[in-house]
Amino acid sequence: MNLHRKIEALGGAFIGALKSVRELARLWRGSLAGLVERDYPKGEIARQMYVVGNKSVLFISVTMGFLGMVMVMQSGQQLNRITGDLSQLGPEFLRLFIQEFAPTITALMLATRVGAGIAAEIGTMKVTEQIDALRLSGITPTSYLIAPRFFACVVMSLVLTIFAVVFSFSAGGLTAWSVFGLNPTLFFDASRVQVYDLTLGGCKALTYGMAIPVISGYCGLEARGGSEGVGTATTSAVIGSSFAVLLIDFLLSGIGFAFFGGGAR
Amino acid sequence: MIGEGLITGIGRGTMAAWRELGGITVLTGQVLRALVPPTMDRPELLRNLYRMGNRSLPIIALTAFFVGGIMVVQAGVLVRQLNAAGLVGWGAGYAIFREVGPMLIALMFSGRVGSNNTAELATMTVTEQLDGLRALAIDPIRYLVVPRVLAMTICLICLVILGDIIALYGGALFAMLVLDLEYATLHYSLVDNIGWLDFIHGVVKAGVFGAAIAMSSCYFGVSVRGGAVCVGKAVNAAVVAAAISIVLLDFFLTYLLP
Amino acid sequence: MAHGATSNQGSPTGAGPRATSTQQADSLIEFRDIHKAFGSKQILRGVSMAIGHKEVFFIIGTSGVGKSVTIKHLIGLLRVDSGEIHFDGRRIDDLNEKNFYPVRKRIGMVFQHATLFDSMTLRENVALPLRKHMQLGHKEALAEASVLLERVHMQHSIDAYPATLSDGMRKRAAIARTLAMKPDVVLFDEPTTGLDPVSARRIDRLIREMSDDLGVTSIVVSHDLDSIFSIADRIAFLYQGQVYKCGDRADFENTDDAIVRQFIGGHSQGPMETPGF
Repeated sequence: MNLHRKIEALGGAFIGALKSVRELARLWRGSLAGLVERDYPKGEIARQMYVVGNKSVLFISVTMGFLGMVMVMQSGQQLNRITGDLSQLGPEFLRLFIQEFAPTITALMLATRVGAGIAAEIGTMKVTEQIDALRLSGITPTSYLIAPRFFACVVMSLVLTIFAVVFSFSAGGLTAWSVFGLNPTLFFDASRVQVYDLTLGGCKALTYGMAIPVISGYCGLEARGGSEGVGTATTSAVIGSSFAVLLIDFLLSGIGFAFFGGGAR
Repeated sequence: MIGEGLITGIGRGTMAAWRELGGITVLTGQVLRALVPPTMDRPELLRNLYRMGNRSLPIIALTAFFVGGIMVVQAGVLVRQLNAAGLVGWGAGYAIFREVGPMLIALMFSGRVGSNNTAELATMTVTEQLDGLRALAIDPIRYLVVPRVLAMTICLICLVILGDIIALYGGALFAMLVLDLEYATLHYSLVDNIGWLDFIHGVVKAGVFGAAIAMSSCYFGVSVRGGAVCVGKAVNAAVVAAAISIVLLDFFLTYLLP
Repeated sequence: MAHGATSNQGSPTGAGPRATSTQQADSLIEFRDIHKAFGSKQILRGVSMAIGHKEVFFIIGTSGVGKSVTIKHLIGLLRVDSGEIHFDGRRIDDLNEKNFYPVRKRIGMVFQHATLFDSMTLRENVALPLRKHMQLGHKEALAEASVLLERVHMQHSIDAYPATLSDGMRKRAAIARTLAMKPDVVLFDEPTTGLDPVSARRIDRLIREMSDDLGVTSIVVSHDLDSIFSIADRIAFLYQGQVYKCGDRADFENTDDAIVRQFIGGHSQGPMETPGF
């Protein structure tokens, strides 16, 4: 009896997950269509770019700057212990940040800041019945609300990732110079970076940029009931988009490694 | 014109950040004072421990598993390049124990438990339930905040220990499947090069991160003003503050701890 | 200007200050010249009144006049800008947050929206203060909570969560939770607002019973005229930040003051000045 119920619950959860995936795909298509049809208020894209991009710059610089310093300190200590040769630190750091840390950590930060923001905003509109009012006036919420955020997130994810690489690389170089006395010309060396790294990092940034607004928008549109509903929506947006980022990271890195040998020469 | 706007913007942002930091500091002081001697609600502590652990366990386990996989894929490049299979266990273990494990698990924990906690406290605040507690002569700090701070700290420590193990075994699994490495190679590469110190380094970080997440999430929860809109904003502010404090603290702890 | 006019009109009808001085000897709670502003908005401009033992005391007035603000000062949820509050012969307005806790054990409050804790059943809600203040164990507290819920006629849903209940039921449970502290005074913030007439009269009866059977002093903030004229011992009418008139039911029923008559009669036209209109 108990087992029966458990299986039932598991099945229910599975069907729920399938439905969510279908709904996410629908939102994704809806956002693309909304972008093509330009079905959103004028100036909305610029406003969203400002909200997603400009307002995240400080946040991203603080986190990525410190991350760059930490990474250089940790790996410098290890290299000192094992080989004592720090000449590869900078080039490897840059390669790793371009294809892994910069896009992924930037996206995790965007998932918390922007994802929560989107869900809170759309969730509030949902519980105060503004979404229904939109529908009544013949406007599709997907193209009106999600499409501009979608576009802004995709573009800004890429831009912020580039910014993050530059920022963390500089912070790392400074740390290497001040802590280990490493010559900056040795550290700031981009010769190891290949097209593969740039492509993989770029693909990751773009995919994260698509996943975050779609998942957060979905959570916002699913909000039910007063302030508690908005809180729940915001919470699930943060965790949903963060987890999506990690999953996409794993998948894309895996594909890159399996089909292109991880860019090894 | 633009420059002026930027400067005022930065100024305003800095002022706001200092104000929130001040608020968090005051709340931390109150929590610490309530902890000596530890007078708090034990049922509430147990209830929170159970809820928070229960709620975050699946997502943390999955996160850790994928983190292990990602680390191995990154290490795989080195293996192919330098033919250095003996370094994979060491590299992945070192990164997972000291940096990536505590940090990513803490970020996910903040997204799951921290934000949920903020939403709950914020809802209680805007519906006057905190005043309700005070009217019943129950101190909201001791009754609500202290048990949550303790529960989140304990929870994150346990989750990071568990996550480390899952990440290592997840990584080992991928290494065996994708890189064709022997389990024994990975095992000895890890135990020969990684000590208890590396493990404890990460666990100490986890404890500090847990407390930081708890403080920011409780602060933004109890200091919210207004209605439903503000609950969402409070959650947003809390997760951002938690993410910043995790990265900042990570830097200082890496510097201070052996 | 309006300020001066009200106090001139107020005194001949036996308002605030004089009523206070006659009550002073045996009053339990006394407000002396309370002022309170929120930002630039002055809400209370010298509220003075005294409340006796075991009274059911109503504070009435239009919305936004500062009725709830006044009673929240009694348990330290708000702090006065100037003036004094005395409770049982002690000054309480200058106590710090920590020293307010003993006062809060003696003065309970039932909030306008009940403010039960969402995450607990009714029984756990009522058991919380028992567990915290009466040194009862978990089981005894729950048993005692059931008895209290029975007293407010809520025995049928002791294990329900607040969100599943109607407003009237939630308010009755909130009253039970307040009674758990065995308070000397209970403050009610708009206990009947938003309730259907039947639930409202049940709450009224409950307030009266508490005063008659348990010897509790009740201070009720309300603009529900039916409650006022069925259970009030004494009434204070708040107007423009001051106690405009204070007296018993008969005083209010037979008054010839135009402003009081307008409020009691519920007329939209009259001498009363309401901000925003």
